[in-house]
Amino acid sequence: MVTHYKCPNCGSDMAFDSESGKLSCPSCGRQEDIETFPPENIELTVETDEAKEYHCENCGAVLLTEAETTATHCSFCGAPVVLSDRLTGDFAPAKVIPFSVSREEAEAAFRKWTGKGRLSPRGFMSGDRIKKMTGMYVPFWLYDIDGSAEVAAVATRTRSYTTGDTIYTETEFYDVYRDIDLSYLKVPADASEKMDDLLMDKLEPYDYQELKDFRMPYLAGYLSEKYDYDDESLFSRVESKIVPYIDAYIATTISGYSTVSYTNKQIHAHKKQAYYTLFPVWMVYYDFENKEHTFAMNGQTGKVVGKPPISGAKVAGWFIGIAGGAFALMKAAAYLVGGVLW
Amino acid sequence: MVKRMAWKTPFLLLAFICIFWLAGASAAFAVADQHIYDNADLLNSIEAQELEAEAAKYSREEDVDFLFLTVNGMEGKDIVTFMGDFFDQWAVDNSQENAVLLTIDIASREVFLSGFGTAETSLDDERIDLVLDRIVPDLQAGDYGGAFEETMAASSEYMDYRPGVNPESIFLKTWFHALVALILGGGIVGSMLYNSGGRVTTTPRTYFDGKNTQVTNREDRFRNKTVSRTKVQQNKGSGGGFGGGGMTGGGRSFSGGGRKF
Repeated sequence: MVTHYKCPNCGSDMAFDSESGKLSCPSCGRQEDIETFPPENIELTVETDEAKEYHCENCGAVLLTEAETTATHCSFCGAPVVLSDRLTGDFAPAKVIPFSVSREEAEAAFRKWTGKGRLSPRGFMSGDRIKKMTGMYVPFWLYDIDGSAEVAAVATRTRSYTTGDTIYTETEFYDVYRDIDLSYLKVPADASEKMDDLLMDKLEPYDYQELKDFRMPYLAGYLSEKYDYDDESLFSRVESKIVPYIDAYIATTISGYSTVSYTNKQIHAHKKQAYYTLFPVWMVYYDFENKEHTFAMNGQTGKVVGKPPISGAKVAGWFIGIAGGAFALMKAAAYLVGGVLW
Repeated sequence: MVKRMAWKTPFLLLAFICIFWLAGASAAFAVADQHIYDNADLLNSIEAQELEAEAAKYSREEDVDFLFLTVNGMEGKDIVTFMGDFFDQWAVDNSQENAVLLTIDIASREVFLSGFGTAETSLDDERIDLVLDRIVPDLQAGDYGGAFEETMAASSEYMDYRPGVNPESIFLKTWFHALVALILGGGIVGSMLYNSGGRVTTTPRTYFDGKNTQVTNREDRFRNKTVSRTKVQQNKGSGGGFGGGGMTGGGRSFSGGGRKF
């Protein structure tokens, strides 16, 4: 099924507008609320040979899509289309964070970011060689996690005092036990095989105030994909993500000791609920010195991640500057105190 | 008239500076003729000659006479008294108060290093202890010439430092400065490199659900207690240090320190 959102006014294909959070018509400027969009203007075409080939309703061209694609543009006429049959059943997203950074804002934010790259080559810092930018809804699983922890530890408290010419060091040993009920809400893990996990992790955090119930029109005008991993197979990844958080929390419950060594630490975490959610990401493809660099930007907050090119000369410059400056400063201090330079 | 004066002023100033400089030079430190009093015959004649020249050189550089006194038995006196009596006599004979004196009694195998006059502050007790640390191995090995030479080298090195500062402090060492600078540079640039691709800004609190996370059972049970005792180190230095500064029989105050070797 191919879905177009036709403008009730002029019949053009409407797309999601990140500024107003509404569907907006590029021709006449009409804006429609996503919740109240008239269903008669949703143009659905049921294809006979589904999932293999889609045709654009406007021009009839074949939509070239990958198997995961759920929203795209017609490569021929540019009309935003949503492949709604790929967003139903198991693949129906529960939540979505709509884009709040527009293409122009994203470009400006990216340029600002390249300008701040203190170790990047000068040519990169201008940020004027963006090859392509795509706004993309990336599939994530958000997990509500319930868990429990049983912790046993030996903790010590040390104090020392001096009587006469003897220093007494008194060490008290405690057996410490903690039973903890744990709860973490909406911990994300990206469910797309294409996306680099580390890159996606760095894009966090998203502001969940903007988390909306999923509606297809949000996707109009962007690319979107469906998940490659279901919530069961991804849970181990999210578990490995929260274990350090749990460890940090456990440590805060055992305070007032000089040392704590754990003798037993059992953490059980299980999924209470998982929400299939689409997060907005701007992918920036950037040409620099005949190489393409890929960056990702949080489509909600504007945070940019990705490895920028590194200038060896600048690294050396910073290193020499900092090390040399520190050396000179310490020498000056030593000279002031000791009266001898070397 | 005023104009002519203005023209002359720099020359007058220069003349004054020259006079002061000449006066300073003429009032410069007069180095004593003899520095080595090797009564115990610890040095051979060639060594003694070389060291005498060396001592004259260091003495000129530091404006302090470096004196070496060796004896074999001290007529029943202790080394501090013996040293003090020697210096009282020497100071009168040479009309010179600024000196560093290394006294060795080979019979009791004791060494005492003292600083007089300006050397009392520029080579204080703490520094004397540091010099002794450096020469005692030579003395134990029987290399007296080497010990004398090291005494001068170490003392003149330490005397360049401002009074009261520990010249062996790690914070004054060039290698330490270089090391800290390298670590600092490496650390900062390393973290810049590491963070150039974007930082992880989630914290353990980001997804934390404070309403439903709680400690349900908490126990801190006292088990036992151990007490360990350590004696406070009262004596510093190795191999029986003694002394410290004091006053000679002739009323000359000095800084000092001694060891057995």
